[in-house]
Amino acid sequence: MQPLKARAEPSAALRVDPCVDPSDCPDTSRRRWMQAMLLAPAAVAGTGRPGIARASIRTSAHIVIAGSGLGGIAVAARLGRLLDGARITIVDRKEEHNYQPGYTLVATGVWPVAKVRERNADLQPARVEWVKEMVAGFDPASNSLTTESGRRIAYDYLVVATGVHLDYAQIAGMDVSAIGSNGLASVYPSPQAAEATWQAMQAFTRTGGEALMTLPSTPLKCAGAPLKMTFMLRDRLRQAGMLEKSKITFESALGNVFSVPTVNDNVLSRWKTLGIGVEFNHRLESIDIGARRATFATADGGKLERPYDFIHVVPPMRAPDAVRDSDLASKQAPFAAGGWLEVDKSTLQHKRYPNVFGIGDVNGTPRGKTAATVKKSAPVVAHNLAEVIAGRSANLSFDGYTSCPLITREGSAMLIEFDYEGRLVPSLPMISPLQDSYFAWLMKDRMLKPAYLAVARGRV
Amino acid sequence: MYEIWLAMNIVWEIAMGIWPALLLAALAWIALVAAALRRPGSRWAAGLGPAAMAGVAVAVAAVFAVPWLTHSSIAEMGYWVDWANLAAIALGFGAIAAAYAWPVAAMRRG
Ligand SMILES: Cc1cc2nc3c(=O)[nH]c(=O)nc-3n(C[C@H](O)[C@H](O)[C@H](O)COP(=O)(O)OP(=O)(O)OC[C@H]3O[C@@H](n4cnc5c(N)ncnc54)[C@H](O)[C@@H]3O)c2cc1C
Repeated sequence: MQPLKARAEPSAALRVDPCVDPSDCPDTSRRRWMQAMLLAPAAVAGTGRPGIARASIRTSAHIVIAGSGLGGIAVAARLGRLLDGARITIVDRKEEHNYQPGYTLVATGVWPVAKVRERNADLQPARVEWVKEMVAGFDPASNSLTTESGRRIAYDYLVVATGVHLDYAQIAGMDVSAIGSNGLASVYPSPQAAEATWQAMQAFTRTGGEALMTLPSTPLKCAGAPLKMTFMLRDRLRQAGMLEKSKITFESALGNVFSVPTVNDNVLSRWKTLGIGVEFNHRLESIDIGARRATFATADGGKLERPYDFIHVVPPMRAPDAVRDSDLASKQAPFAAGGWLEVDKSTLQHKRYPNVFGIGDVNGTPRGKTAATVKKSAPVVAHNLAEVIAGRSANLSFDGYTSCPLITREGSAMLIEFDYEGRLVPSLPMISPLQDSYFAWLMKDRMLKPAYLAVARGRV
Repeated sequence: MYEIWLAMNIVWEIAMGIWPALLLAALAWIALVAAALRRPGSRWAAGLGPAAMAGVAVAVAAVFAVPWLTHSSIAEMGYWVDWANLAAIALGFGAIAAAYAWPVAAMRRG
């Protein structure tokens, strides 16, 4: 399968520096930054949005984006500016856009649920066709996909942005609709679940007792969220004066609690001080919600039953069925198991179908399932796709930037940023990643949602 | 450089979220300045001192109020980056308070 170069019409006359927006080029030069500074007010005046670059590549290509979460919308917004004449179609049924990084704040009583609910229509870029259906299957050999109603949509280029599938079905007895009752909590599935989790947590802080916090063995979106929930549960118990009557145990299906060793060690030493117990290689296998009993599979093949008063369930995660069951899914370990999208981790271009790119959580890459990852990789995907449309090769590289303000208690957090290799890469040299910090908390509480919206609009 | 661009966008998005309030506040400030300019005998120079005092008072209050308003507390200032940010925010509130106080003080002196 070759990229469809014949349809691209790169025009030297129309080409402008794609790095007018400094975020388009990771190694932004001073000159470009000055350009952006000068252009920003003009762009604001002219379009109501700062930092908008002119289109650079003329093409009549049809680009289909599967998924309208942060990744899909951010890439659509950027492609709309980089390409002149392209037809862009987004396929996703979801009408509500959820600010998922805010779920942990809702689930721990810091934010009202309204702060994580937006209208998807308000974030869709102009001149993008929106097909309000889910993709039922991808057929990359024929450059087409089929929606759940049976409609076939052909594309020249495809961006897969479907996020993850929360595989609660792997936990026997689990019922997502029961979250909030019987001490059952889970921050992941929806704003409603986050709100219900807060109700369950409040009830638990009134009585105290035994709390279990689970972690599956699969890759996770925001792998820091289970840790944040644990820190915050402990803090809420402290505020309620119920620490003495409570016990928190973190049940990890892995041999660690976080994949970055320095962060893992730091968290474990904090938990030791805070009296939070940790058990490794315990995978949540089944749950009896009414009886409040959880069964874990252990490393030696045994089973362990635990009673609880409060449990926070983190589901195993994998690629959505449409991706997993298609030829776009990875064929090799370790990503084949979850059916993750088979992309090159640097260019985010599909390894076997060069007219296909991946953005966000669905990608089969080491680490990198956060909104912060989308922030840094959407410019790479949009640029590389534009290059391929213009008949060139994908030439920008992504380093796997992942970030997570790890809440340690109400009012304080650590600003953890790392790359594919697990190296800590603070974006500002003065940031101390493992330091309890009000600034990191302030970012989580007040600044990251505005930053997220700017990412969705393709500006940063 | 990217971080400055990001910070500008964060400020922009926050402003977009509260633009009616910002517009009202800006109109109120313009009205105050216009009233002071039109009033015979307004003494801008003499108003500067009291306006600066008001600004300092608000900045000091903000050092305590801002952490509280953001579900935190002054005890959570972990290292100098926290203090620098808090100081910058408090100074920003102080500057805004001084900007409002100046025309008012200029008129009172007039
Ligand atoms: C509890 C929690 C806390 C988090 N905390 C943070 C944090 O602190 N910092 C951070 O950076 N990130 C955090 N994240 C992660 C962040 O929200 C995600 O990484 C980000 O939203 C990924 O964007 P995405 O576009 O890949 O996926 P999503 O935003 O999940 O969007 C995927 C979209 O694809 C659609 N879709 C799915 N299947 C199909 C299909 N078959 N056809 C068409 N469309 C489909 C869905 O409807 C959805 O709209 C958190 C996430 C959670 C759940």
